[in-house]
Amino acid sequence: MTSNDNQKKNLRQIFWIWLAITVLGVVIGIYGTPWLMPTSASNTMHLSILTMVVFTVAAAPVAALVYAVVIVALTKWRYKGEGIPPDGPPIRGNSPVTSVWLVVSTLLTVFLLVWGLALLAVDNGAESKSEMTIDVTGQQWVWSFGYAGTQVHSHDLYLPVDTDVKFEVTSKDVVHGFWIVQMGIKVNANPGAITTTAVTPNRVGTFDIRCTEICGLNHAFMVTRVHVLTKKNFEHWLASQPATN
Amino acid sequence: MNSTLEQHHVVGGGFLRRLNFGTAAVSGLVFGFIAWALSHHFLDDSGQGFADQVTVLTGCGWVVGFLLGIGALTGPGKWFTGRDQNHADEMYLAGKDLGRKRYFQYTTDHKVVGVQYIIATMVLLGAGGILAMGIRTNLLTPGNHFVNQQVYNGFLGVHGMLMILGLIVAVAGPWANFVLPIQVGARDMAFPRLNALSLWTLIAAIPLLLGSLAIGAMDMGWVTQGPISDQSGIGFDLFAMSIITFTISTTVAGVNTICTVLTMRTKGMTMERLPIFAWASIFAAGLGLYAFPFFLVVMALNLADRMVGTSFFIASGGGTGWLQENLFWLMGHPEVYVILLPAVGAILEIASVFSRKPLFSYRTVVGGMAGLCGLSALVWAHHMFTTGWAPTLGGPFMLTTELISIPTGVIFLVLLGTIWRGNIWMKMPMIWVFGFIVNFIVGGITGIYLSDIPVDNQMHGTMFVVAHFHYVFVGSVLFGAIGALFYWFPKVSGRFIDEKMGRISFWLVFIGTHVTFISMFVSGLRGMSRRYSSYALIFEHTNFVTTIGAYMIMAGMLVLLGAVITSWRSGVPSGPNPWGGKSLEWMVPTPVPLENFEVLPVITSDPYTYGEAKS
Repeated sequence: MTSNDNQKKNLRQIFWIWLAITVLGVVIGIYGTPWLMPTSASNTMHLSILTMVVFTVAAAPVAALVYAVVIVALTKWRYKGEGIPPDGPPIRGNSPVTSVWLVVSTLLTVFLLVWGLALLAVDNGAESKSEMTIDVTGQQWVWSFGYAGTQVHSHDLYLPVDTDVKFEVTSKDVVHGFWIVQMGIKVNANPGAITTTAVTPNRVGTFDIRCTEICGLNHAFMVTRVHVLTKKNFEHWLASQPATN
Repeated sequence: MNSTLEQHHVVGGGFLRRLNFGTAAVSGLVFGFIAWALSHHFLDDSGQGFADQVTVLTGCGWVVGFLLGIGALTGPGKWFTGRDQNHADEMYLAGKDLGRKRYFQYTTDHKVVGVQYIIATMVLLGAGGILAMGIRTNLLTPGNHFVNQQVYNGFLGVHGMLMILGLIVAVAGPWANFVLPIQVGARDMAFPRLNALSLWTLIAAIPLLLGSLAIGAMDMGWVTQGPISDQSGIGFDLFAMSIITFTISTTVAGVNTICTVLTMRTKGMTMERLPIFAWASIFAAGLGLYAFPFFLVVMALNLADRMVGTSFFIASGGGTGWLQENLFWLMGHPEVYVILLPAVGAILEIASVFSRKPLFSYRTVVGGMAGLCGLSALVWAHHMFTTGWAPTLGGPFMLTTELISIPTGVIFLVLLGTIWRGNIWMKMPMIWVFGFIVNFIVGGITGIYLSDIPVDNQMHGTMFVVAHFHYVFVGSVLFGAIGALFYWFPKVSGRFIDEKMGRISFWLVFIGTHVTFISMFVSGLRGMSRRYSSYALIFEHTNFVTTIGAYMIMAGMLVLLGAVITSWRSGVPSGPNPWGGKSLEWMVPTPVPLENFEVLPVITSDPYTYGEAKS
């Protein structure tokens, strides 16, 4: 009888702690995650941040349950006497609990998977409808960009806003990682191969490109910028550039 | 009288009596020098890859010389010449009546090997930790030049590999050797001489890895990626030699662990009555047997590219870095579970003993571990989502990766179920178990973010990933390993590790872990790439905090080291079963006799009968 009462009391305590931590996690997820991440300059990045928020919110109750049990174990179930404690209740397992646990974790996994596949479909769609192609070449330790259909090359990347851009990425020497930080796209630049990625910038401004694969001495300094211009300004810029090889 | 006695007393060991760690080191250096001189003399010094050929052959000379000098080849040599070892030789090899000397020799007693593994683990983790301090000091402020970029890049690669090797052996090395045979009721491992071989092969590999840093010029990180590893200086040759040597050591050890559990169990020790640590050990060892050959192959191909002008991974010769990445991660992901599973096994043992409750749902957790092993072999390409290799495979690998969260969840269920309403005894081992639970949740959940391809497109190659796997390796595996050390140390030394110093080290490491890696998460979220030797001003504050946290972890580990050393000499005596455990290692006296059991025990139940009527 008392053991049953204790169990109920413990479950109540765990529930309240769980609720508190869950709420905290959800709030941090919704407000903290976007605050910590860079400004979004594309829909891809927006979806990436949204996924971080959704996953944090989904994970909060799971982590909260574990932490709630840990807190109750440390405060309520702790043995305060001297020497080896007496034996606890011989619980060898609990089929309903195990089943529920497995079902819930499977459902969560299915949710994550469906979410991921849906976003992946959006991403792949973007690549197929590109209006403009940029040739990206990495070499130790600079990026260079060629604008398809022109003879223009640059070391800062210039893009028109609201245009579907496809990047064809390669390297002259070792593997580099081409990453536009605020646009949420990344693909490696491999020597002897062309890899692709695509994005539609939706914000005018200057953003960062950083290398994400160690590429030798100056890896940390293989950075450049991307300038997203209005379509008109971009045309103007492109026309003003000398043709180079 | 005296002379008659001596006539009957056969002195075993023969030539081995003259060999120890010192002769091994000297012989290794001599053979290394001979190999260096010969290769200089005979190889074409104008040929491509000459320096690499010389370095690799020198490394081979060191390994062969070291193993000869320790006596690893004496037994097989005798066998070939038809003079197999007699009983006295075997007793000498087992370290009978040799006192402290036996820890510096080719000793076959599994308990001696276990202690030797403790020391080897400390050396690996200690050296890796010092390099970590170097890395973090360099990143204390933007543009700080504690070391130059070349040295910094070498630190990155060697820090990573030292820690990986150290953690692979951190639990499996000491405890699958010292404790496991006793747990299953055996007098030694299935192959005692192979046991010594695996240990001394590991010892031979460590100086190669440290030496690689000394001759340096390595830019490839621990993943030794494609063409950049071909550009690296001759340090990489020793680095790869070290790993090839290490994989041989692990393979030998893995076969031994599996055979011991499968064939050496005492009467009544059915597979269902095995302590969970034994299950975790054979799963990890089996997974290692699958994974580490890839490790050996990728390093061998890399060396071939450098030495003899093949182009497996070199695009200009028709090769591809993607092959390297595939081979590496075919090893690299299972390896995470090779590291994690023994720690989980130890954690579950401790949780049961210190909650005074049976393990919750024994079969479920065995199934969960089996699931982890199976799935971990099918997820490697999630390390390659952004490499551009086979984008079509993104979906399938996202599926397998996210499925891993189900067996991982099972481990949490079993841990929490075991603790549930127990009489929690907050001694040092259990404190680290709670640390493990708290940290492993963070490491696990951040891994789920990364399995999602759109998020990975943003996070791959950033400090977020670094923080994620450090939460797994430091926050979880290292906590498990230290918990295991506190738990089984009394069986090794007959003494407790000092509780007060233990608590200080726990709090330093626990708080340090969160300070270090939460701020590192923030650096990553804000857009800092990994393996940066310097960074933009916007990452200034988080990196400063990370470095302070890293110093805290180091301080905690030094306190722990101090506690272990002083307690080994003069700790509080513990008696044979200080924790009231029920598995067999607690039933034998401390110090454990040479052959563990006077009479082999007969087992009638699993070791988790807390609160149950004695049968």
